[in-house]
Amino acid sequence: MTMPPSTRPASGSSLAPARRALAMDAFVGRILLYGVACSLLLICVGLIWQRLSTGQLWFQHALGGMNLFRLLATETGQALRGGVRPRTFLDLGIAVLMLTPFLRVLASVVYFFMVLRNWKYTLFTAFVLLVLTYSLFLR
Amino acid sequence: MGGMGGGVILIPALTLLGVDIKHAIAISILSVIATSSGSASAYVRDHLTNLKVGMFLEMFTIVGALAGARLTLVSSPRPLYVTFGVVLLGSWAALFARQTGAQGRGRAQDAFSRWLELEGSYPDQASHETVYYKARRAYLGAPLMFGAGIIAGLLGIGAGAVKVLIHDLVMGLPPKVSTTTSNLIIGVTALAGSSVYLFAGLIRPALAAPVILGVVLGAFLGTRLLVRLSNRAVRLVFLVILFCLAAEMIVRGLRGV
Repeated sequence: MTMPPSTRPASGSSLAPARRALAMDAFVGRILLYGVACSLLLICVGLIWQRLSTGQLWFQHALGGMNLFRLLATETGQALRGGVRPRTFLDLGIAVLMLTPFLRVLASVVYFFMVLRNWKYTLFTAFVLLVLTYSLFLR
Repeated sequence: MGGMGGGVILIPALTLLGVDIKHAIAISILSVIATSSGSASAYVRDHLTNLKVGMFLEMFTIVGALAGARLTLVSSPRPLYVTFGVVLLGSWAALFARQTGAQGRGRAQDAFSRWLELEGSYPDQASHETVYYKARRAYLGAPLMFGAGIIAGLLGIGAGAVKVLIHDLVMGLPPKVSTTTSNLIIGVTALAGSSVYLFAGLIRPALAAPVILGVVLGAFLGTRLLVRLSNRAVRLVFLVILFCLAAEMIVRGLRGV
């Protein structure tokens, strides 16, 4: 029996799971789109502000010895204390970029668990989320 | 548009501009998140991506990426250049062999892949038909994707070329599904690798910011192009890019950079 790609649906497929899968496609697509858009906006604001205030686009600082949580905490803490500066936007833009696929995985866990009630894929995505959480926030 | 995150072009370009290869790798892997997420958002909404295939294989690629990034931190530049070139050349050779007839589809789906529910459909704008497919040999694709994850973390390239080959040759996915699903996996894989580089202090925002803006613009244009191109055209673009960059990086590695 051969199984090449075909233009006929697989037998036994039902409409409701297919609709839920399409909704999940749209949901995941929106998270990725908004995350990248938000990140780019923050980076653009940081670059433009730097250019207007110093006449150049160059930033001197490096992001060393910190995990994503520390980066977010440092920059938002600085901003809340009234210390908003161009690098705040730049660093937050990078942080939001890194958070985007993380949020996609988090949303996938919730979606597989709550909406699709697919235990197999809830476990798979939860494993990915666990490893990423460790590497991004607990290191 | 080739299922690549863009790192294969970016790293040679940055090193040619005088950036140290480890910093180039760190910036590249960050920009790979941007390209992957930017283009994947459109592919997923267009129902070209198979989320289940992607989410199953991500378990293996992220662990590989963490290991690969740690290897880069302890490696010297020359082996990184040569490894980069060899990986690209290997991907090119396998892709070329596939073009001359070694197709990975046409066999029955195994029990494990069926248990994983690795099947789907996508609307093909080129043929104006909905294409149905079933992935197979997930038991082989999974450990191979761990290797792809190591390459991604090690070289900061997303390793889309390798992932596409595994999807296509081993798991028998249609080319458009394999490139778009690869794109989805690349983002999470790159995220795992970038966490290591962030902690190591190799990410310089001054370089990363303009690079991210540039690659996202390129990915945006590529995404719109892919859905209008035939599978053959996508593969041709892929072949030319891989060969040129592989040769360039191997020569630089052997010459001592």
